[in-house]
Amino acid sequence: MPLVNAENLVKKYDKLTAVDGVSFHIDEGQIFGFLGPNGAGKSTTISMLSTYLEPTSGDAVIDGFSITRQTAKVKSIIGVVPQEIALYPTLTAIQNLKFYGKMYGMGGEELDQRCHELLDLVELWERRDSRVENFSGGMKRRINMAAGLLHQPRFLLLDEPTVGVDPQSREHIFDTIFKIRDAGTTILYTSHYMEEVELLCDYIAIMDKGKLVAGGTLKQLLSMLGEGGVIEIEVVPPGCPGGLVENMKMQNGVTAVRHEDSQLTISSKNSAHSLPPLLKVLEDSGCDIERLEIYTPNLEKLFIRLTGKELRE
Amino acid sequence: MKQMRKLRDIALKDLLVVGKDRGSWILLLITPLAIIMVASFALGPAFKGELKSQLLASNLDQGQIGRQLTDALGGREGLQIVEATPEECQALSVGDKKYKTALVIPEDFSSRILTGSDTSLQVYVDPTDNVNRPFMVGMIDGAASRLSGMVSAVRVAVSEVVKFAPETEPVTVAADAAPAAVQQMSQDPPVALRIDSASGMREVNMFDTQVPGYSVMFLLFGVMLGAEMLLGERDAGTLGRLLVAPVSKSAIMGGKLVAQFCIAMAQMAILFGVGHFVFGMHLGNSIPGLILMIAVTAFTATAFGLLLASVVKTRRQATSLGTLIVILMSALGGSWWPLDIVPGFMQVLGHITITAWALDGINALIIKGKNFTDILPDMAVLLVYGCICFIAGIKMFKFRNA
Repeated sequence: MPLVNAENLVKKYDKLTAVDGVSFHIDEGQIFGFLGPNGAGKSTTISMLSTYLEPTSGDAVIDGFSITRQTAKVKSIIGVVPQEIALYPTLTAIQNLKFYGKMYGMGGEELDQRCHELLDLVELWERRDSRVENFSGGMKRRINMAAGLLHQPRFLLLDEPTVGVDPQSREHIFDTIFKIRDAGTTILYTSHYMEEVELLCDYIAIMDKGKLVAGGTLKQLLSMLGEGGVIEIEVVPPGCPGGLVENMKMQNGVTAVRHEDSQLTISSKNSAHSLPPLLKVLEDSGCDIERLEIYTPNLEKLFIRLTGKELRE
Repeated sequence: MKQMRKLRDIALKDLLVVGKDRGSWILLLITPLAIIMVASFALGPAFKGELKSQLLASNLDQGQIGRQLTDALGGREGLQIVEATPEECQALSVGDKKYKTALVIPEDFSSRILTGSDTSLQVYVDPTDNVNRPFMVGMIDGAASRLSGMVSAVRVAVSEVVKFAPETEPVTVAADAAPAAVQQMSQDPPVALRIDSASGMREVNMFDTQVPGYSVMFLLFGVMLGAEMLLGERDAGTLGRLLVAPVSKSAIMGGKLVAQFCIAMAQMAILFGVGHFVFGMHLGNSIPGLILMIAVTAFTATAFGLLLASVVKTRRQATSLGTLIVILMSALGGSWWPLDIVPGFMQVLGHITITAWALDGINALIIKGKNFTDILPDMAVLLVYGCICFIAGIKMFKFRNA
């Protein structure tokens, strides 16, 4: 059952359209990933869902509350972990957590207990009385995340929570996210690292230039590239003799063939089985092979296929 | 009620953040105290009249009147005579030591006075010395004027004696009358000045003027720091985090302003407290009035800081524009020198600043001995000033980065 329903969200700044008619839904207990390059509109979408920004048009309903008309209700059930380290550097870890807890109406024993739980969760209880400014980047990120969890939100928005952290801290953060999900929290996760969304997310929405360009489970998305793999062949001379593409499509296991200038991109159910007959077809056509590459499908390749550019551009 | 509690918690958090920031302490307390001490100790002796100006003097007079003149000048408060040769006087230096003013009394000074003839004193001045020159020349001129008066009196006496006893030799009469008249130089003049503090006013020490002036200046620097902190929170994302929590904007802004107001009050209390208990600064006759005046000043400055945070886009702009405004306000408003000594139009111009109105009120209480009711107009102006800044600041402040 969807916890979040976003309908045609639009955010415009003067002539720039940062988010252009985005619609999606997030099921309860799901980790929903937004994948896209910097500037794709992921953070702006999160900002609208968190009520930080008002949509130019469109709306989203979170647990029955509209982000445009019931902001106070929405604020009380969501948790936000912003991309910035939104902490007070001269205060200690526990002082930061207690302050943000009070902002959610918590206090007394309940707040003390919750701070203890969260500092245990992010494995920083021993450092609770250290100033945040003395923490490593990864430790700051973990406290930043804990600050968004104090009031046990039903829906957690994580905006690129692993930017600038070391691999060990990244693992810590992933472990924490799984624990939060297992505790029943629905999560929206944005990243421009495809490995992260592949690992973490139950559902992945790919964004570019303010629009959703694809969405689905990892398996569904990768199947768009062909289940078995992709063979890329660059041929000389450029251009293809008539009938080459059609001949290739007829080979065993081949599901799709694209031709662009001198490059042929062949999707296949099994690259190893498909390759020999494909090479034979090429030889018969009189083309020479300049380059040949076989790869398993991933989101990076899918993104390139969908947008014509790389994720990190 | 919940929002009020959050407002309180935001204020307490801000106080904690400032309390842990050594840089803030340096700006808010240590710098103003250091400047107050330096300025007070440097200018204090001159202010109290303890600093003596030195006058080079070469007395070539063969008679007694030259000596009596230098004795009379040396006996004046704030003036010390240093004997020198005519050449040293002309060069305004003795060895390596430089002087600003010198006096040469000619050889025939006494004899010309005793014979009722005109004479003159040679004074050398440093043309670049605009501070001491009027005082020194005035001193010498005053003594010369008294001598001239006495010479005139001798001349009148001689002419009167000769009129009634034509056989008398004028020179003999003058020789008898002149020394007696000159003797008057070392005695109290017939017309003396009585100098008292004006009604209700009392003797002030340097700290009475320095502490309020610099305290108000650094109060404004403090609120500039507050404006910078507010923009810093916006940049760091902590303000954004509060905006997505169930906290109203008015609670967020209210908490920040309450904290800033408390910091301003604490800063003024500490600076005035140190001024009073350590340096003997007077607090005037109305402590409640002084506290209220400081509170109104702190409110207005806080509101001004909010307005500053609203009109600039970045922290850097807040620092540079804020520094410019605070320095201009301090110069125009009388933090560094009394507004009474500046031209009329500058006094009017000065009263566009918070500093001028605040110092008018504070000085009225601690220097002029006024009461609470006397400073109500100053407080009213500051309150209106503060309310305008507050409303404009609240309306214009952008919670989100562009």
